[in-house]
Amino acid sequence: MKSRKSEARAAAVLIAPFVVAYLVLFIYPTVKMVELTFTDAPLIGEGAWVGVRNYVRMWSDRQFWNALWNTLYFVLLTVVPNTVIGLLIAMMVSRLKGWLQSVVLAAFFLPYILPVSVVTLIWQWVLDPQFGIAQYPLSFFVGERVPVFRTRAWIMPTVGFVTIWWTCGFNILLFLAGLRNISSEYYDAAALDGAGRWKQFRHITLPLIWPVAALVLTIQLILQLKIFDQLYLLTLGGATNTTMVLVQAIYRQAFVTNKGGYGATIALALFVLIVALSVLQYQFLRARDR
Amino acid sequence: MTRRFDPVGIGLTTFTLLAATLWAFPLYWAVITTLKPEHETIRPGVHFLPEDWTLGGYIHIIQNTNLGTWYVNSIVTAVAVTVLVVVMSAACGFAISQLRFPGRRLLYLMILASFMVPMQALIVTHFILMNDLGLVNTWTGIILPQLIAPISVIVYKQFFDSVPKELREAAIVDGANWFQLLFRVFLPMNWGITTALAIITFIAAWNNFLWPFLVTTSERTMTITVGITQVKDAFGVYYARQLSGAVLAALPVAAAYLIFQRRVTQAIMLTAGIKG
Amino acid sequence: MNRLLKKALAATALFALGAGMAHAKETVVWWDFLSGGDGVRMKALIQKFNEDHPDIQIDATTLEWGVPFYTKVQTSAAVGEGPDVMTYHLSRLPLGVSTNTLREITPEELASAGLKPEDYAPANFQAAQVDGKLYAVPFDIHSLVLYYNKDRLAEAGLIGADGKPAGLDTLEGFDAALKKLTDGPSDYGLSFQTAGDGGVWRVFYSLLGQQDGAFLGEGGVLPGDENLDKAKKALSAIANWSAQGWLPKATEYPASVALFTSGKAPLFLNGVWEVPTMVDLAAKNQLGFEWGAIQMPALLGHKATWADSHAFAIPNNVGKEISPEKLKAVLTVIAWMNQNSLAWASAGHIPAYVPVTQTGEFKAMEPNATYAPLAETAVFDPQSVIAGVASPVYEATGNYFVPAVNGEMDPAEAVESFRDDLNGQLP
Repeated sequence: MKSRKSEARAAAVLIAPFVVAYLVLFIYPTVKMVELTFTDAPLIGEGAWVGVRNYVRMWSDRQFWNALWNTLYFVLLTVVPNTVIGLLIAMMVSRLKGWLQSVVLAAFFLPYILPVSVVTLIWQWVLDPQFGIAQYPLSFFVGERVPVFRTRAWIMPTVGFVTIWWTCGFNILLFLAGLRNISSEYYDAAALDGAGRWKQFRHITLPLIWPVAALVLTIQLILQLKIFDQLYLLTLGGATNTTMVLVQAIYRQAFVTNKGGYGATIALALFVLIVALSVLQYQFLRARDR
Repeated sequence: MTRRFDPVGIGLTTFTLLAATLWAFPLYWAVITTLKPEHETIRPGVHFLPEDWTLGGYIHIIQNTNLGTWYVNSIVTAVAVTVLVVVMSAACGFAISQLRFPGRRLLYLMILASFMVPMQALIVTHFILMNDLGLVNTWTGIILPQLIAPISVIVYKQFFDSVPKELREAAIVDGANWFQLLFRVFLPMNWGITTALAIITFIAAWNNFLWPFLVTTSERTMTITVGITQVKDAFGVYYARQLSGAVLAALPVAAAYLIFQRRVTQAIMLTAGIKG
Repeated sequence: MNRLLKKALAATALFALGAGMAHAKETVVWWDFLSGGDGVRMKALIQKFNEDHPDIQIDATTLEWGVPFYTKVQTSAAVGEGPDVMTYHLSRLPLGVSTNTLREITPEELASAGLKPEDYAPANFQAAQVDGKLYAVPFDIHSLVLYYNKDRLAEAGLIGADGKPAGLDTLEGFDAALKKLTDGPSDYGLSFQTAGDGGVWRVFYSLLGQQDGAFLGEGGVLPGDENLDKAKKALSAIANWSAQGWLPKATEYPASVALFTSGKAPLFLNGVWEVPTMVDLAAKNQLGFEWGAIQMPALLGHKATWADSHAFAIPNNVGKEISPEKLKAVLTVIAWMNQNSLAWASAGHIPAYVPVTQTGEFKAMEPNATYAPLAETAVFDPQSVIAGVASPVYEATGNYFVPAVNGEMDPAEAVESFRDDLNGQLP
């Protein structure tokens, strides 16, 4: 027990399950992915070495750039709005007290814990062009019923809206925790000075909540770059030019058109993009911790 | 200080209540639709309550789909993922926090580095791997790629770091070995963390869509979140039936949240890197 | 305790016996994409087969038509997890063979099932082959027809002396009829699925065929200015219907059917597979009007109609070669389905199995008899790896033609982008 050796042996036993899983299910697939990008392999089966042809192809592939662009468009539609709405709701909720606060918070948070397929089924029904209840307000504002998941200009904004409805609860929780950490003394002092709500928000809440906002923004950024599920389920089978995002491009190349090698190449591009952003985020958070 | 009449405050509260009602309305609307007969769901106009209350949608899908099988698949895989992730993370986090062994720092750095790795980027090679292992269309095939959870290791490590040294020394003096130390002292002390991590891992595993969608090619092996979107003949364009499936799929996670509300909140803070 | 153990043992033995008996029964895992009115007919056929064959049990699953179905089939076959038999569109056969998804059916195997090549129309049987090898057994030929609401058409004076729709031949006549119908009590003149690739492609391809336009040739997709112009003319005609408000925009498949059956659109362009929906509704007196179906009128030249074929195929389950017993059972299923396809004709389709089409029963079947001549004017999808259901052609239709029909893109521009996109994907 006291010896170094037995300590190392115990450690080996304790870390073994995780390390084995990590090697087999993370390191190996990552290496294999890189290897695949140099072949023309189908999804299942051997392929021939083709050098950097997949990369050359990706560079000139309209669909890849289209997918990248659509992904960034989706990021633009969701990241900042989701953060701002999360902060606003958290501020509204934090004003309330007791059971009322619990109930209101649950109403805002509940969508977040639902499976994506449930969320998409709900919104398909609510926004159904013929029978959806949301078509009443929509046609009031637009003048006619809008088949939102079949009209190109509407697809991405609507999916973005559904995504915010679904995931905002997460942001609300983080902001609520942040707001609770702001001592009420600040507000009391400001109130004594006669500062109004806006001034209090501008000079106390905003600066003190900013670190949390930065955290939420970076988490959202990385999350939304991986968009696939809800977009796929809501628009299944239509307008691929408008709805093609990076994860869907991987799925499409590897699983739909059976090009494993090329699919892996796009996967690696996404991998690098997200890891790069994560490093940035990590640096950012470290800077904040100091 | 007595509160004086505050019209802005009352206005804000009213607005908050309205917004919350509107926000939760789609949930209400989905549930109430499942309790209507099919012909009522497509009746023009807005009807907030069914005229004839019925469980017809639920009865139909329970009798006519593999919903039961999907449910079993979901429960087995989500529970397995939860147990394995918690046990593996606790053991690994404990070793990194409390034991000295060669490669400890390197291991922790690697875990930190893989913190935000996009699993979506690995779907192609995960699928190939599962096929090589003959695990397509199996529970194990659904479970395995979901076991990579570096964040839980990090959370455990951080909490074990903050356990007072004296406790550890006392247990060692009593002759406890490392495993007893973990299971008798460290885990019980951080029971709340384990519960929180377990609940959120369960919810995530139950809700997972992309991977189970890819690795299950047969109706019998689908999880419920996949099944309700994939098999069409059972539903057709029957909204009440389709939403009944959705409600049943959401039931366990909604229940888990409503029962363990505080733990879920805590877990979310933890995984976002904020100590609760 | 001992007694309990005995009971358990006995129960186990009984269970094992039962399992052993069940084992003698060959289970055929079957996947299809038939969920419309014809899906009901297929389920009845499967049930009848199971009742007639105590030794074979079909275990059927219906998956979502189109890309989801074919993706699932392709991936499953590649990992040896596919079904034993599945429905397949002949239009997609070259693409399916190119991804190694289909298992060859040898002449001996076909013969062992009691089927002969002569049992099928030569062109149909040809379409089931790639490089001289048979990969599927045709089951039906299905095509686009024009469903009509006789009551509404009569009110608008569009029913001729023979009791059939009149005045619809030529685009001008058809347009005028749509205007008249829309101005009348109906919401729209015409309905079809305008939200997805399938509905738009079928109408477009019919109109291209009516002008003898070549879809695929030496110069690639829509070769030469002539064919390009024909394509533009076809798409513009469709886009005009929706622009004028005669055809509802962005309408999903089920809604397009509902628009017709609820009387809101008196004309309906769709495949023959919705015939059973009308038959069933009329039988239950729920339709509220007299309905009929005719061959698609010649709007841009001569009569021509898009057509495709449902067939049965055996997936090439990699690493899991089908056992001889299972193969025998599968071939029995395929042969039985063909020989009993008169019931399938009641789903609106024209059976591919010629002996069935020569029976008096089939010849007397309505409304099939009314549109039966379309077999002679059918234009099948091009035989190419970029064509067929869930192919690049269908996808490009969704990306360019559907927006054009819904007024989100200029038709001429859409046709050019469509051509350029597909030419980039030619092997």
